[in-house]
Amino acid sequence: MKIFQIILLSLIALLLVSCDDDDPTNPTPEELITTLTYTLSPTQGGSDVLLTFVDLDGDGGNDPVISGGTLSANSTYNGSIELLNESLDPAEDITQEVEEESLEHQFFFSTSGTNLTVAYDDEDGDGNPLGLRTVIETGDTSSGTLTVILRHEPAKDAEGVSTGLIGNAGGETDIEVSFEITVQ
Amino acid sequence: MINAKKIECLIGILIFPLLLLSQNCSLSLKGTVLDTGTKIPLPFSTIYLKGENLGTSADDQGHFEIENLCAGEYHIEVSHIGCEAEEIFLKLSADTIVNILLHHHDELLDEVLVHGTQEDNSAQMSNTISTEEINQKSNQNIADILEGIAGVSTLKNGSGISKPVIHGLYGNRVAVLNNGVIQSGQQWGNDHAPEIDPFVADHISVVKGAAALAYGGNALGSVVLVESDNIKEDPHLHGKANYIFESNGLGHTANLKLSKFDKWAAWQIGGTFKRKGDNHTPNYFLTNTGKSEANASVQLEKKISKSWESQLYYSLFQTEIGVLRGSHIANLTDLQSALSQSVPFFTKDTFSYEIGAPRQEVKHHLLKWENQFFLNEATVLKFKYAGQINDRKEYDVRRGGRTDTPSLSLDQTTHFGELILNKTFSNQLFLKTGLQYTFVDNDNVFGTGTFPLIPDYRKFQPSAFAILQKEKGNLFLEIGARYDLKHLRVAWFTQGANSELMRTNHTFNNYSVSGGLRYRINPNLKVRFNIGHMLRSPEINELYSAGLHQGISAIEQGNPALKSERSVKLIGNIDWFAADKLFVQVLGYFQNINDYIYLKPADEFRLTIRGSFPVFNYEQTDTRIYGTDILLSFEPQEHLKLTSKYAIVRANDLTADLALINIPADNWTNTLSYSLRDHTKFKNSFFAVNGKYVFRNNRLEPGQDFIPTPEAYFLLGLSMGTQLQMDENKLKLSLSVENALNATYRDYLNRLRYFADDPGRSINVRLAYEF
Repeated sequence: MKIFQIILLSLIALLLVSCDDDDPTNPTPEELITTLTYTLSPTQGGSDVLLTFVDLDGDGGNDPVISGGTLSANSTYNGSIELLNESLDPAEDITQEVEEESLEHQFFFSTSGTNLTVAYDDEDGDGNPLGLRTVIETGDTSSGTLTVILRHEPAKDAEGVSTGLIGNAGGETDIEVSFEITVQ
Repeated sequence: MINAKKIECLIGILIFPLLLLSQNCSLSLKGTVLDTGTKIPLPFSTIYLKGENLGTSADDQGHFEIENLCAGEYHIEVSHIGCEAEEIFLKLSADTIVNILLHHHDELLDEVLVHGTQEDNSAQMSNTISTEEINQKSNQNIADILEGIAGVSTLKNGSGISKPVIHGLYGNRVAVLNNGVIQSGQQWGNDHAPEIDPFVADHISVVKGAAALAYGGNALGSVVLVESDNIKEDPHLHGKANYIFESNGLGHTANLKLSKFDKWAAWQIGGTFKRKGDNHTPNYFLTNTGKSEANASVQLEKKISKSWESQLYYSLFQTEIGVLRGSHIANLTDLQSALSQSVPFFTKDTFSYEIGAPRQEVKHHLLKWENQFFLNEATVLKFKYAGQINDRKEYDVRRGGRTDTPSLSLDQTTHFGELILNKTFSNQLFLKTGLQYTFVDNDNVFGTGTFPLIPDYRKFQPSAFAILQKEKGNLFLEIGARYDLKHLRVAWFTQGANSELMRTNHTFNNYSVSGGLRYRINPNLKVRFNIGHMLRSPEINELYSAGLHQGISAIEQGNPALKSERSVKLIGNIDWFAADKLFVQVLGYFQNINDYIYLKPADEFRLTIRGSFPVFNYEQTDTRIYGTDILLSFEPQEHLKLTSKYAIVRANDLTADLALINIPADNWTNTLSYSLRDHTKFKNSFFAVNGKYVFRNNRLEPGQDFIPTPEAYFLLGLSMGTQLQMDENKLKLSLSVENALNATYRDYLNRLRYFADDPGRSINVRLAYEF
């Protein structure tokens, strides 16, 4: 019967589908931030303090390398944050991406045990703080941590958010890094 | 869901034309109307010849007789109080006796009735949802409709995405068959719903079995069957137009089905459109929970020769679903901050139909060609080919204008071929045996700019099975076995710097055996027992997940060393009728799964630039799942009916001595309906009240979830409806209120419980026109 031939042929055709896929293309994670550098320049002169977070291979793999720093007591520093994706060659400047989308981003800073305050020194297009540039004032000697958080799509109009309080901000965390800080 | 249960009665007809010579216009049509379950006559049923304006009522024994009919074609409508009227097409050329089996107890719809043929007769237990109920609820997801069956719950990600949980198992452990074909899509994610339009189905059944021998897949027991009937042998064009409005979300659902038994072939086409905006809890909008859907199906049937029947079926399902904006979080700090909100972040004050990120876009094509060859009276050979293409894209809120680029984009192609032989032997012995071959090709579509959570793979799976059944008096016995060879070829990338392509192959030998019996102790008492042993091999996500599972803020790590799960399941069931007024079904089950695969929280947190994330690894343990489904229906008098359903599931990790997560809370649903006597113009009028009580799942230890399990809740539903008879056509109207008390609640199986309340009251209006 002809129909049986058709059936057998279809079955064979199914079985003969080649075994392996073509090689899939290695996807490069695009939104990765591998490197955060928080440069603190003392206003009274002296050398810059660099706080860095480096995780060149992204999530997983090798652990990130985090370096904190030592600040002088009762001093003022100008802070600026640089973000890079160094998994690409040449490295991608994420700072620029955040600046371009300043309305959708905001940095938040918090301390634990460290005697210092962080104030915003820049604005987005609506006059709300962004936080790529900051002014840090240190107090008496102390040691602890400084946590830097970058939120994507926070509610910038919510209560307290423009003064740097994160509680009502919402949004997704793009960066959350803690640095060991000594004030002496 | 709280639509009142409008009863539909399925009809089985046995036509015995009497070969008597007769003159035109002196023919008689006689018959008896019986209840299928009990074979008890249904007195005073109405038999109406449409277009003739002629009808009669059955007597108290269910007998009826219409005389002086002319030879010709008749559309006969049979109805009984509390039953949905059904239509039969009959070519009258001689005096005819028709035995009509109306289904008065829809809870009882078992496999015999649903399939009608001996080959699908089985010792397994099943419960079915009827066509009318599917049409009434076709604004909902298929899983939500299944919730009407005792023992079925739904795992949700908001109201747009839901998948069934049956006897404590879900996802890859439950097979969903769409028109006899295993639904092949991305079934691994808890936020992936089966890609099926419920409106394509004439019945949806849940087979609460111990082993799914004829279906394969990877099910550890229960199977969901979404089935279309054969097209009715009626040479006239018939159709159904259905429209549903929901006040919560301002949802519109419209569908149309047309069918005709033409000379060249019998055909049926159908289509569904859905549009829905943001749902509303009693207190606020659920921003970005809209949905749009457009589905189509075509079915062609042809008797090519006396011994060859062929069917071609195609369906397209496409949907776009918004996921609550406030549920999109990046790390545990975000989750903690979301948990402390009384109203979710990003909640807008206004309603919108807009669907933004996070959202899902899914397209699913199914093409099936099925042939039956009747080799001789006792032997049927079947050949089936089915192809499926599943295209899933998931969009996240992303930086740098990438929100319009999917962060997950998967294409899956499945080919399935099947050859089945059914043979009936003289001594009431029946054999069903078959060979199957499944090929799956799953590819990540390049360009997402994300590391793939699931790698590319191909699956090759030849299978063979045999089921032997024997009927002897009141006893029905069944044994069967199945073997699947599953070969996986995976192409995956290593994580971290200098990511490399690796190729790994896995081969699994899966077998299952099952045995069952059904015994009718007396016409009012039936018992069933089923035992099965089954293997389920690990799925791709369990072997190779790598990275952050979107929205769950956890890193999931697959484990390529996983072995197959081994399950033993026992089910016992009693159906008891007490004097036609009371029906009780009690089902109990017990399942041990060795090497049960689950996500185990690791003791480590992974530090990333986005903060630290908990890591979950796929591990294996031994589990035990047991429970009971109870169904009761009571009719104190003809017009009044109370239906009560109760379900309990217990599931434990035996090694860790902990309760399993994602197990439904105990729940109890009661429906009281009152049917009005038929009026010449208004038929099947009813009022119904429905109450569902969901207990609190208090079996989890504090560290097992981010928040305590939600409180118990009660939902009240109201509904009423009627049917307007207009010559040969029917107009059905119904009004229902879901969550009538506008209760504020959260459900344990809804992932959005971390962020928001469930939807509040909805008033639904339905109009349906049948011709």
